[in-house]
Amino acid sequence: MEFLDYFVNVFTAYHIALLVGGTFVGIILGALPGLSPTMSVALLIPFTFHMEPESGLILLGAMYTATVAGGAISAILVNVPGAPANIATAMDGHKMAKQGKSKEALHYCFISSFVGGIFGVVILIFFTPPLAELSLKFGTTELFWIAILGITIIATIDSKSVVKGLISGLFGLMLATIGDNPVLGVERFVFTEHLTGGVNIVVGLIGLFAMPQVLHLMENYYNEKNTALKPTGSSTLMNSFGYVFSRVKALSIGSVIGSVIGIIPGAGGQIAGLVSYDQAKKVSDNRHNYGKGEPEGIVAAESANNSMVGPSLIPLLTLSIPGSPTAAVLLGGLLIHGIFPGHEIFETNKEVIWTFIDSLILAQVFMLIIGLFLSKHSAWIMRVPDNFMAVGIMVLAVFGTYSIGNSYSDVLIMVCLGTIMFFASKAGFSAVPVVLGIILGPIAENNFLLGKLIGGARFGDNWILYFTTGTINITLIAICIISVVYGVYSNRKSRKN
Amino acid sequence: MFTGFIPIVNQEKIKMRKHLKISTLIVLALAAVLLVISFDEVLNPKPWVENEDYLFPRFIASGIAVLGVLLFFEQSDNEKSTNYKDLLPGLALIIVYILTMKYIGFYLSSMILFFAGVMTYRKPEESNDFWRVCIVRLGIAALFTITLYGLFTEMLHVHPPGGMFF
Repeated sequence: MEFLDYFVNVFTAYHIALLVGGTFVGIILGALPGLSPTMSVALLIPFTFHMEPESGLILLGAMYTATVAGGAISAILVNVPGAPANIATAMDGHKMAKQGKSKEALHYCFISSFVGGIFGVVILIFFTPPLAELSLKFGTTELFWIAILGITIIATIDSKSVVKGLISGLFGLMLATIGDNPVLGVERFVFTEHLTGGVNIVVGLIGLFAMPQVLHLMENYYNEKNTALKPTGSSTLMNSFGYVFSRVKALSIGSVIGSVIGIIPGAGGQIAGLVSYDQAKKVSDNRHNYGKGEPEGIVAAESANNSMVGPSLIPLLTLSIPGSPTAAVLLGGLLIHGIFPGHEIFETNKEVIWTFIDSLILAQVFMLIIGLFLSKHSAWIMRVPDNFMAVGIMVLAVFGTYSIGNSYSDVLIMVCLGTIMFFASKAGFSAVPVVLGIILGPIAENNFLLGKLIGGARFGDNWILYFTTGTINITLIAICIISVVYGVYSNRKSRKN
Repeated sequence: MFTGFIPIVNQEKIKMRKHLKISTLIVLALAAVLLVISFDEVLNPKPWVENEDYLFPRFIASGIAVLGVLLFFEQSDNEKSTNYKDLLPGLALIIVYILTMKYIGFYLSSMILFFAGVMTYRKPEESNDFWRVCIVRLGIAALFTITLYGLFTEMLHVHPPGGMFF
């Protein structure tokens, strides 16, 4: 119970002010498409230069927690996830908002994020040593299969057709291969200078979600009555708490899966959210309502992406391997303050690290309070007329895209991808597998090529054996196959019904 | 065989089938292009190029090709038609916005897009007093742009394309 000794350090006026400020700004930045948790934390790092290490880390930790949850606001209200981690939230969240239940959807989101977040921090506190060893067992082939699993799962849950879902996922993987080969360094598919840098993840995210949304609003401006203009939800805060805590299955699936995925280096919140959403759907009595505005979907996705925050710091603090892209930026924050992660971190910087971890618990509490306060007032976004909403999203999307790398080429890629996706969605293709393909592409290709090199050294021409042997590999392959077979089966069943 | 009358339901099915055929053709064409590019280094090997640069894309392109064939046999039940009449003015505005941004700057072009967008998409009941609507919307567009400038450029020090103005 060593962590309790340092709790008192968090309860100073200065640290509380940092937590409140970091959480408030984090939720707002997280809600802006393009300003991902990674970028928000990176923007804040210069502000921590002059702070004491523990104060700087407290601010960064609060920001990390809040941006992950804040990304759900735009996912729910305008169907544009603030960050990749909120993709699964948009699936049911925006449908609820369209039904006039935006306030309830946001309540469920912040309450589930709080529960998941606290669970994740508890895991971080008590399970750091054994989980660090588990994360070490994930080598190149296991990470390759994790990436493929992410694609197959999302292809089967987000599309009415498994074939279309898989094509979308593979198209995303193909987009991720534009630019330099990650191992051999040769340029591929660079037909124009604008493609030299490849397709950035956030550019893909904004283009594939924001742009089709803008075009949809314009296309249907005169035909569609915006049902979301009147938030009619009568649910109170207590009812929302009651609802979330009554969904024990979704909450525990989200929290546990999110934590496990969090400790796998490089996996990130987007996989946590989507895998949990999928598993919660499979065991739910309301599985047929998923994707149509089922609150359980929000509970599973949001508890997962926030429970990932704490465990993603485990490999970072103990092995210097970030569990997520944002954790990688946090690593920079640690190094700036002269803290070098590793097994001995709890010996050399005991006070700073325990104070930081303890502050994450309080950051979850502030995230809940501020998030619920903002959700009370954020429903007004749904009252904004569609024409104002369309141009507003477009301008923010362009700004968010440009600000990633100060690149006009990124803006062109975003607009082209978005326009293609708009027309592809008319033919039943979904944006979610494409985005996940772009996100997981570098992980999949890098680990595939490295695995092939290692496999070639061990097995010669039969390098494929390196990918198909070992308990974790076989388990992951089996889950991939099961998810595709189950997807085909459930598609056929729902068509018959 | 009687062919002079096709029930409406069947017509809809035929239309959907046509959409699916077009989707299949596009997917197969994409797969073919990707396969040609990714297998080029194998078919025409060059001594200074590793023939594994495109190894991963080769697997993906083959996967897309196989799935493209399977797509042809899919049941088509979730295609939607496009309302080009209402879509095209907005799409044209976006293209002009993106192309001019580089020259006149992000903030000015955004303000113009905002104003032009909300004036182009205007329901009949909103146009009782055209000039009043026009001035109010211009004010909102200016306020939106100034807010963006204050938040992003002044507070966060993130600079969008400047162009010839700011």
